[in-house]
Amino acid sequence: MKDISLPHLNYAALAPMLILFGVACVGVLVDAFAPRKARYPIQLVVALVGLIAAFVAVVLRAGKVTAENAITAAGAVSVDKPALFLQGTLIVLGAVALLLIGERALERGGPFVAQAAITVGSDADQRQAARESGATEVFPLTIFSLSGMLLFVAANDLLTMFVALEVFSLPLYLLCALARRRRLISQEAALKYFLLGAYASAFFLFGLALLYGFAGGITFAKINESAQNGTGNITLLYAGLALVSIGLLFKAAAVPFHVWTPDVYQGAPTPVTSLMAACTKVAAFGGLLRVLYAGFDRVHWDYSPIIAAIAVLTMLVGSILAVTQTDIKRLLAYSSIANAGYLLVGVLGNSALGLSSVMFYLVAYGFTVIAAFAVITLVRDADGEATHLSRWAGLGRRSPFYATVFTVILLSFAGIPLTSGFTSKFAVFSAAGGGDQSWLVIVGVVSSMILAFPYLRVVVMMWLSEPGEQTPSVSLPGMLTSAALVIGVVITIFVGVAPQPLLHLTSEAANFIR
Amino acid sequence: MTSALHLVAAAAAAGEVTTGEKAVFFILAPIALIGAIGMVAARNAVHSALWLVLTMLSLGVFYIVQAGPFIGMVQIIVYTGAIMMLFLFVLMLVGRDASDAVIETLRGQQAWAIVLGVGFAGLLGTGLARVVGSLKVVGLEQANADGNVQGIAALLFTKYVWVFEISSALLITAAVGAMILAHVDRSLRDGTAVMSQPERMRARFEPGSYPGPKPGPGVFATSTSIATPAKLPDGTPAQRSISPILPTRELTAAEVANKQTEGR
Amino acid sequence: MQTLIPLLVAIPLASAAILLLGGRLTDRWGHWLGVLAPMASFVLGLIAFFKLADLPVDARAYSTQLWNFIDSGSLHVGFGLLFDPLSAVFVLLITGVGSLIHLYAVGYMSHDEGRRRFFGYFNLFVAAMLLLVLGNNYVMLYLGWEGVGLASYLLISFWYNRNSAATAGKKAFLMNRVGDAGFAIGIFLMFATLGTTQYTEVFAGVAKLSTGTVLMMGLLLLLGACGKSGQFPLQSWLPDAMEGPTPVSALIHAATMVTAGVYLIARSNPIFSANATLQTVVVSVGALTLLIGCVIGCAKDDIKRVLAWSTVSQIGYMFLGVGLGGGAYALAIIHLLAHGFFKANMFLGAGSVMHGMNDQTDIRRFGGLRKYMPVTWLTFMMGWLAIIGIPPLSGFFTKDPIIEAAFNRPGWTGWLFGGVALLGAGLTAFYMTRLFVLTFHGPKRWTEDIEHPHESPWIMTIPLIFLAIGSVVAGFMMKTSVVTWLTPVLDPTGAEDEVHRITNVTGAILSVAITVVGAGIAYMLFRRGTALVEQPAGPVVTAARNNLYADAFNVAVFEKPGNWLTRGLVFLDYRGVDGLVNSLAAIVGGGSGRLRRLQNGFVRSYALSMLTGALLVVGAFLMVRLG
Repeated sequence: MKDISLPHLNYAALAPMLILFGVACVGVLVDAFAPRKARYPIQLVVALVGLIAAFVAVVLRAGKVTAENAITAAGAVSVDKPALFLQGTLIVLGAVALLLIGERALERGGPFVAQAAITVGSDADQRQAARESGATEVFPLTIFSLSGMLLFVAANDLLTMFVALEVFSLPLYLLCALARRRRLISQEAALKYFLLGAYASAFFLFGLALLYGFAGGITFAKINESAQNGTGNITLLYAGLALVSIGLLFKAAAVPFHVWTPDVYQGAPTPVTSLMAACTKVAAFGGLLRVLYAGFDRVHWDYSPIIAAIAVLTMLVGSILAVTQTDIKRLLAYSSIANAGYLLVGVLGNSALGLSSVMFYLVAYGFTVIAAFAVITLVRDADGEATHLSRWAGLGRRSPFYATVFTVILLSFAGIPLTSGFTSKFAVFSAAGGGDQSWLVIVGVVSSMILAFPYLRVVVMMWLSEPGEQTPSVSLPGMLTSAALVIGVVITIFVGVAPQPLLHLTSEAANFIR
Repeated sequence: MTSALHLVAAAAAAGEVTTGEKAVFFILAPIALIGAIGMVAARNAVHSALWLVLTMLSLGVFYIVQAGPFIGMVQIIVYTGAIMMLFLFVLMLVGRDASDAVIETLRGQQAWAIVLGVGFAGLLGTGLARVVGSLKVVGLEQANADGNVQGIAALLFTKYVWVFEISSALLITAAVGAMILAHVDRSLRDGTAVMSQPERMRARFEPGSYPGPKPGPGVFATSTSIATPAKLPDGTPAQRSISPILPTRELTAAEVANKQTEGR
Repeated sequence: MQTLIPLLVAIPLASAAILLLGGRLTDRWGHWLGVLAPMASFVLGLIAFFKLADLPVDARAYSTQLWNFIDSGSLHVGFGLLFDPLSAVFVLLITGVGSLIHLYAVGYMSHDEGRRRFFGYFNLFVAAMLLLVLGNNYVMLYLGWEGVGLASYLLISFWYNRNSAATAGKKAFLMNRVGDAGFAIGIFLMFATLGTTQYTEVFAGVAKLSTGTVLMMGLLLLLGACGKSGQFPLQSWLPDAMEGPTPVSALIHAATMVTAGVYLIARSNPIFSANATLQTVVVSVGALTLLIGCVIGCAKDDIKRVLAWSTVSQIGYMFLGVGLGGGAYALAIIHLLAHGFFKANMFLGAGSVMHGMNDQTDIRRFGGLRKYMPVTWLTFMMGWLAIIGIPPLSGFFTKDPIIEAAFNRPGWTGWLFGGVALLGAGLTAFYMTRLFVLTFHGPKRWTEDIEHPHESPWIMTIPLIFLAIGSVVAGFMMKTSVVTWLTPVLDPTGAEDEVHRITNVTGAILSVAITVVGAGIAYMLFRRGTALVEQPAGPVVTAARNNLYADAFNVAVFEKPGNWLTRGLVFLDYRGVDGLVNSLAAIVGGGSGRLRRLQNGFVRSYALSMLTGALLVVGAFLMVRLG
């Protein structure tokens, strides 16, 4: 029998993931052993310090990465420049979302339930709603999820990608179920997300098996090689690619795999929704880009029309359904679907420009959407967040500052120039225009014009209506939410006014290593 | 076992399927399918689980026949033996509840599900059927060269070591998740604070508490009813000797009367 | 100049920020800040203008790159400003007329509690409009374009508690979106084919493009221009936009914003001049719109609506001008400037009338106001004479050359467009005279109890006087000077092949004659007032009263299918998504087993829809493989 030796593991490249896995495990231990009162501060500090350490590791690595040393762990992981860029993005967005998750000034005990197992509406439930502070397991769960995402965007074979997909999804399913208020909707959302997520994972796995049959291996290099040489059976290739992309498009919330989005976004606790809207999107599109660009570059003429059709559907369904929404979180959910469509348009740019523009878009959209959900956590009444749109009427009079902030965010979503929404749409559309997808650009522009309507309706409602009895007040945010809000809005405006540094960074990073 | 394995592997390498393998497949494949359909169709959760066991056992045999004895055994021992049995225990503990059986309320749901399901299976099935004829099976020999278990171990600790380690995150998450979703802190459930041991001791010996064992009812002394209190030495009934939820019962004359069990 | 040009935009922007964010702190002095901001910009604009005029003719363009907006790979967009003769006249128009209207609004809005907010939006508009005309590339222009659209939307719906105002705001917004989408796609097309949006580079590159591309690009830009300027087929939002406060109508929907379309076409003159078909389309749009505007203007009884339709028709003249190309570009611009004066003047005059008449807008209920509002009467008369083109007032010097240029277009189209323009002049004279006579002359048809006509305060009449002087002298002053001034930007050469059917003198005589005839008929008909009840009308008048059924057309062609589409999707959403929320609500409220099963069912239906998608995707991939 031959000797087995551990393959070379480049710990510098793996450091961000290792740090986050370690921090998550520490978090679990803290929850097991620390006294109840001390858990929250310890968890918050541990999580934030861990994220900062991971970010430092990413930055240190970014200076040293080359085409030769990017691949490690026996070819399972490719920590190349796009991976590092996306990992950095994920860590920063995750940290900002974590600030929202950790906020406890808005509501006694924070936005999470203390004991999720207690029957909703029972006496014990009322007791805990009144006085218990929220579960601190959310911190290690968030970190686990983020670490899974870091691996997802760096996975160099489909099996690693699948495990990473599960690692980042499972904590999200749990987090969705932990809302302090409206717990039934929250649990409902979690169960639905879990069931449909498992369903989509099954497609992914099936596709993985078929692709193994095609290439005799599951690394992107192997698949690319087989496609290039014409070895392997082409039916397996296409069926496998179709099934794998279904799994990824589910996470990206593209039509017709978007059905979970509105319900889950609405039901999940708002900080978790912000995590999903920002980070899951980054991870899903990071994965999709890697699969399509690194693995299936050879057949891009064959998949382009299908992805394009999905992009068109996604943009149109997302924007048209957004028009009739009456709940702000649902509105943002449909807007996130439409944004997935714009991102798909960028993906079809199929060049370094396409890659860089999608990464640019992900950063810009991520920060804006977190800021948007941060504002939503602030607008509340005695029953928690007031998410019905009619309740937002006249908010501009009640608290002009936050209404202005939200207006800036909405204008950015609507793609008004000088905000990040404009520059990012401009980037993906010109990438697609360069990739001979001009008709997609036309649909994209039309859909963003439709989408501007619900956004501006909210703006007008906030500024041009009298506040009524129903208009909720805006709570004074704690330090954490303020920090998240400021970071989100500043980056939204900065990227809109001076996108140059970020564009430079993304175009520097736009090269996958198989 | 090993020799059989070599036989199968050699046959596979030659691109043939042995008659024995064919026979096993055509017997077990319908059974696996029936199990899967039965699992979905069964109204009773326990039945459903049992159908699933049937499918899993069949799959385990398939794996073994296809020269993967380790995964076949794991399938049978771990999945079927451990996990499904645990699942059944839980079902029985929680109490099987057949009333959850579905009455379809969405119009066309089942019909469409069947149409689309069959369509999907048909699409992939025909696609794959055209392929597998021309498919060359290679590499089985090398993969099992050092033995099946050793081969898997080598893969797990070399090529897939990173994924293998990472999957521990999944297990931790699952454990934490189970804790969050199922565990209720007693203080919250009962609405009382948790007592430490000294507090509990102090409470036990506080005035008004009765730390010792309580006397049994006077059943065999005078009657056959546990509602009969025992008698204290002074002849008064001891209230502590009967459960507080039972009313104290006056004895009838017949019961009071001597049973004449002694000294006639 | 380096700091001067950015300051032009920055001052009103800063003022808007202070007013909108300052909240109630600025309530007491906010409106004065709002007036000072455009005035300061006006002064700076004058200084810049004179500096520019000092330069030799060829060097009269000051371009400054503030920072590189986007610069990566093949993407280059700079945040740059361009101050050249064309921008300069627009800057002076916007800030000059804008300052006067701001001043007027102090008085007009004095009783409105939202005055500070109003001035905030108003300054925001001025800043965006200045950015629009000062940008040195199409992205900057688009930025300003969106900005003025937003400000206009906010200002139209300013009196949001009026249902009609809210509806009008929405209508304006939607119609502008149609145009904006065209414009945006045009910019992307420009980007895809030329790789830049900088004016100089785009114009240099036009020659390299194929005819089809230029035509497409031009049509998309034209769609944008039509949306913003209320041209056919997107004209019907503009009259409805009069629901906003009158100063808004005067500044945004008469003098400046609605002429942005003309600016866009004039600025893009190398693109439009490069394709004859494109020019014919622009001319046709202009001619058709000016006729539509005139015909509907004749049938309306609301003072602001009549003025609004006359705006539509006057912008039609400008489109006619820019479509004719060559020397007519400059003619269109001077007509735009003169129109800025006299239309603002008349709108403010109408506001003054409404101010004195308890917000009555029906001209059938005015009459004999001359005695009560002498200043308003006199200034309005100047505007009236100017718009119908009586020499030597401004309209004569600016509209007349456009009519002549239309006649001189080669081929039979010259006769057609010239005829239409001339007919339009007669109709304009008719309905404007009708408006003027019914309002200020004839028997009074109002009741003393309800309306107490009185002259407006000085703060409102002073701007009127300034604008009236402008209406009188602007045309004469600009006739040659501005045309020469604009030569570096709007090259008048290139239309040498025009035929000379009409000389200046015959053209002038012809148009003055038809004007006098139109005005005379109107005076004869309406000098004794009019009946209050709606007259029985033939089909033409009925059609005109109904805006030539443009709204009905829009409803049938755009709104209904849109509604069906939305309804269909809502239905899907209801069955799939909303139903779940409803059932969840029912569970929260005490729920039943039946509904719980329903809700399970919905997850099934989600899974079903995903399966459908999966089937389609896999099928499509395998089809690709087979095909």
